[in-house]
Amino acid sequence: MISLQNIKKVYRTDTVETIAINGISLDIAKGEFLSIMGPSGCGKSSLLNIMGLLDAPSSGQIVISGSQTNNLNDKSLAAFRNQKLGFIFQSYHLINDLQVIDNVELPLLYRNNISAKERRELATEALTKVGLSNRMKHLPTQLSGGQRQRVAIARAIVGRPEIILADEPTGNLDSAMGNEIMDILMNLNQQDGTTIVMVTHDEHMANKTHRLVRLFDGSQVQ
Amino acid sequence: MLKNYFKIAIAVLKRRKFFTFISLFGISFTLTILMVLTAFMDDVINPTYPDLKRDRSLYIGHVELRNSKEGWMNRSSPSFYFLNHYAGSLKTPVNMTIFSTNTAASAYVNNKKVVLDMKYTDAAFWEVADFDFTEGKPYDKSQIDGSQPLTVITEKTKADYFGGEQNVVGKYIEADNIRYRVIGVVKNPSVTSNTYYASLYLPYTLSKFNYKNTDIMGGSNAVLLAKTPVDREKIRKEYAQLVTKIPTGSKEMDQLFSHADTYFGDKVRGLMGSGTETGQRRFLLMMSLAIGLFLLLPTINLVNINITRIMERSSEIGVRKAFGASSKTLVYQFIVENLILTLIGGLLGVLFSALALNFINQSDILEGLHLSLNFTILFYGFIACLVFGILSGVYPAWRMSKLAIVTALKAQ
Amino acid sequence: MFKHLFKLIWNKKKQNALLITEMLVSFMVMFAVFSMAVNVYRNYKIPMGFEYENVWVINLANSPKFKTADSSVTYYRNVRNTLMSMPQVMEVSYSSSNTPFTGSFMSTGYKYKGKQFNNISYYQVDNYYKKAFNLQLLEGRWFNKEDDAAAYRPVVINQSFKQEIFGNDAAVGKNLDDYDGKTDQKRNKIVGVVADLKDHGDFKPTDRGIYSRADSGFYKWMSRIIVKVAPSADAAFEGRLYKTTAGMMKQAVIDIEHFTKKRDAMNKENLTPIIITTILAAFLIINVALGLFGVLWYNINKRRGEIGLRRAVGASGNSVSWQIVAESMVLATLSLILGVFFAVQFPLLNLFDLSTGVYVNAIVLSVIFIYLLVFICSLYPGKQAAAIYPAVALHEE
Repeated sequence: MISLQNIKKVYRTDTVETIAINGISLDIAKGEFLSIMGPSGCGKSSLLNIMGLLDAPSSGQIVISGSQTNNLNDKSLAAFRNQKLGFIFQSYHLINDLQVIDNVELPLLYRNNISAKERRELATEALTKVGLSNRMKHLPTQLSGGQRQRVAIARAIVGRPEIILADEPTGNLDSAMGNEIMDILMNLNQQDGTTIVMVTHDEHMANKTHRLVRLFDGSQVQ
Repeated sequence: MLKNYFKIAIAVLKRRKFFTFISLFGISFTLTILMVLTAFMDDVINPTYPDLKRDRSLYIGHVELRNSKEGWMNRSSPSFYFLNHYAGSLKTPVNMTIFSTNTAASAYVNNKKVVLDMKYTDAAFWEVADFDFTEGKPYDKSQIDGSQPLTVITEKTKADYFGGEQNVVGKYIEADNIRYRVIGVVKNPSVTSNTYYASLYLPYTLSKFNYKNTDIMGGSNAVLLAKTPVDREKIRKEYAQLVTKIPTGSKEMDQLFSHADTYFGDKVRGLMGSGTETGQRRFLLMMSLAIGLFLLLPTINLVNINITRIMERSSEIGVRKAFGASSKTLVYQFIVENLILTLIGGLLGVLFSALALNFINQSDILEGLHLSLNFTILFYGFIACLVFGILSGVYPAWRMSKLAIVTALKAQ
Repeated sequence: MFKHLFKLIWNKKKQNALLITEMLVSFMVMFAVFSMAVNVYRNYKIPMGFEYENVWVINLANSPKFKTADSSVTYYRNVRNTLMSMPQVMEVSYSSSNTPFTGSFMSTGYKYKGKQFNNISYYQVDNYYKKAFNLQLLEGRWFNKEDDAAAYRPVVINQSFKQEIFGNDAAVGKNLDDYDGKTDQKRNKIVGVVADLKDHGDFKPTDRGIYSRADSGFYKWMSRIIVKVAPSADAAFEGRLYKTTAGMMKQAVIDIEHFTKKRDAMNKENLTPIIITTILAAFLIINVALGLFGVLWYNINKRRGEIGLRRAVGASGNSVSWQIVAESMVLATLSLILGVFFAVQFPLLNLFDLSTGVYVNAIVLSVIFIYLLVFICSLYPGKQAAAIYPAVALHEE
């Protein structure tokens, strides 16, 4: 599903070069639930961003669903993310000015040939899946952390992407809420066959996934 | 999509009320000033009472003599003779009037002084200009030929001179030490419509200036009336052709210029042009330069505020990009948002303009001036809104769309 | 400390460039407004140099024409005698059409010892002009009967013109050459110097001027009669004056104006563009002030982390708020340096006809104004920054 070949990421400022990722190769199969662990600054978030085409690697190849992604322009990249990928962030990144339902609809706005009615239906469906169909008209600020993250998950799945990339989805939540989120993700993986890549700090969560990759100083150690 | 933009635009406006206030203040006041200016220009350019046939009229207000060797120049209004003899011989116009520029005279009534602007006219004056008579009628050709001391006065003159009297036709008004019998009263013309403005209209045969004098220059204007607006071009050419054959009547001056211009053309030529220059290009340049300079500061201010606002929403930008919005789509979104903001400001601007115009009309800064909003002005205001909204939205939107997703997401 | 501030500003140059541009344009706007205001104020402070209360002017159009110059002189001598015999008339004088507060100019050029003087306001007036307007004589005398028989052409010049030609030396008795340089002892003999007349309204400067004694040719084209009346003269008297004049010249179109009213009209005409510009500038500046305030305020909120850290490493609340204000002031200084560079081009290239002193004053005033504006706009955000508690701010990060 996702194939990374010899990915390097170097951050340059005027005086220093920081190597964030130092030649990582990784293959992720369709339907796999993979977790990435490592201490702060090991490059795990950078790796996830590169996988999600949010950031470009300094060198290396990324192939997703059989498509070479290196030479895509801004517009094609955007379309690719929109069709194939869904994101979940540690700090939710919901748009506080929009109601829950509008937040969930967001990815569908950037698709062609989809009517407002269809959008609403798909968003309602996704919210039902995460158990928030009764909160559609609320604003994100009126929700708890766990609820917000569930909205974020609904937003990630509304476009039926093949891959979900989650950056510490439980990082801001207590363990009860964290488990709730983890259950939803595992459900998605098992029932819909969605490929999930999750960055986490939590050994307990990581152990629930199919495979665990550990990074240290930009290199894979396990 | 647009509905979504609208929702978010309104939400953003509501959230940072102070910024919204600053933006709306800037936009609405800028537009108010532009719209008041437009209303004034509109009043000056478009037909207003009594100059209602302006789209069929051509104006001869100047004649210019030049010495091509030394560069001397002498420009003034033409004489009655010049207009009557030359412009009067044109074939195409369906009507034509000649009248004097205004002369001020004092009148004394009940130990009060009234200053009167006197205009000497021919009989066709009342056919070409569309005056509304509230009383009486104009003087006719036979009365003019008979040099009868008759006058048409404005309502303002009536009030100033006769006080509260109801009917003044048949009464006498003494101006310039001559008693004139009032034959008609007309509604007040606006000072801005200065072709026909006066407070006392008199037959030209009563003029103390010698209207038979054959000098080229001498304080008269003419208005030529064409059958249709398009016909004016024919008249303009015919007059231009005629002018080349008119002798300068002076040894020192070897060139003579005079033009039958449209109302706007005549005013601009008088202001900025000359016998050989219409002055319109210069006028437009000066106007756009002035408006551009005036718009500069509010635009920079709005750009500054927009950038601040947009950077505040970097998380939203990151998310939108992550979920498939291309840079182009985002630029489009923010320009639309900014346009919504400017249009709201524009609506407020219309409100303020209406108040400002009402104030200007009430305070009677210029005699008889009555400015009002109409569709033309609203249309120009709308165009100004769009230009303003796009100008102040493009740079911030471009800056924002260039933001790397990772940075945008981290910023919160 | 300043180096530190510059570093902060430099690192955010893109963001600050716009703020600097905004301050720069505001400075230029204020510079224009202050140049105008200083100029107007300076003109306002110039003494009038003449008295125009209870002085009227009779404007004549289509005045009587005479075959010979002498007959016109005789005619107008009689007109004067008739008017002077009216009880409330104090003085009657004839003048060329550029009477005070008219907006009518006549100018000419002279040479003195080979040096050319151009654009000198030229007035043609008679023996009684000084008394009618109560001009202040600084040197020599005004025109009088002894000039009638004189072989020379007498002139009186005003203080500004005298200063330019002669400096502090005496002017009386000297001869000016005509603009074409023709030298002749009979020409333009200076018999007196009068104080400048501020005759274009309260807000316009005085010109260099020269008064030439009305000769017989002048009366052929006479068009202005200046009448000084007693304070008790009212509209009824004005009506009588009108009748008397009109009775003497049947063909003429006559209009009587009061110089006090002409002055008011002229002041209004001169002030209107200034008032409109000031209103526009005030609106622009309020706009800018709100904008600056908003942007600075927002920037503080965005830098809570940085400010919290500063507090944590021991900066006091005061020093933090001082830093915020100082940062804005450095920004203002950068834009003012640019602005002053542009502004000094005006006196250097002598654009528009204003004195260097006006520009210098305007630059100083607008620099102070912009500093004050930026200071006020950054004061509240600075105070707000001081209120940030390190623990809270750092926790948010």
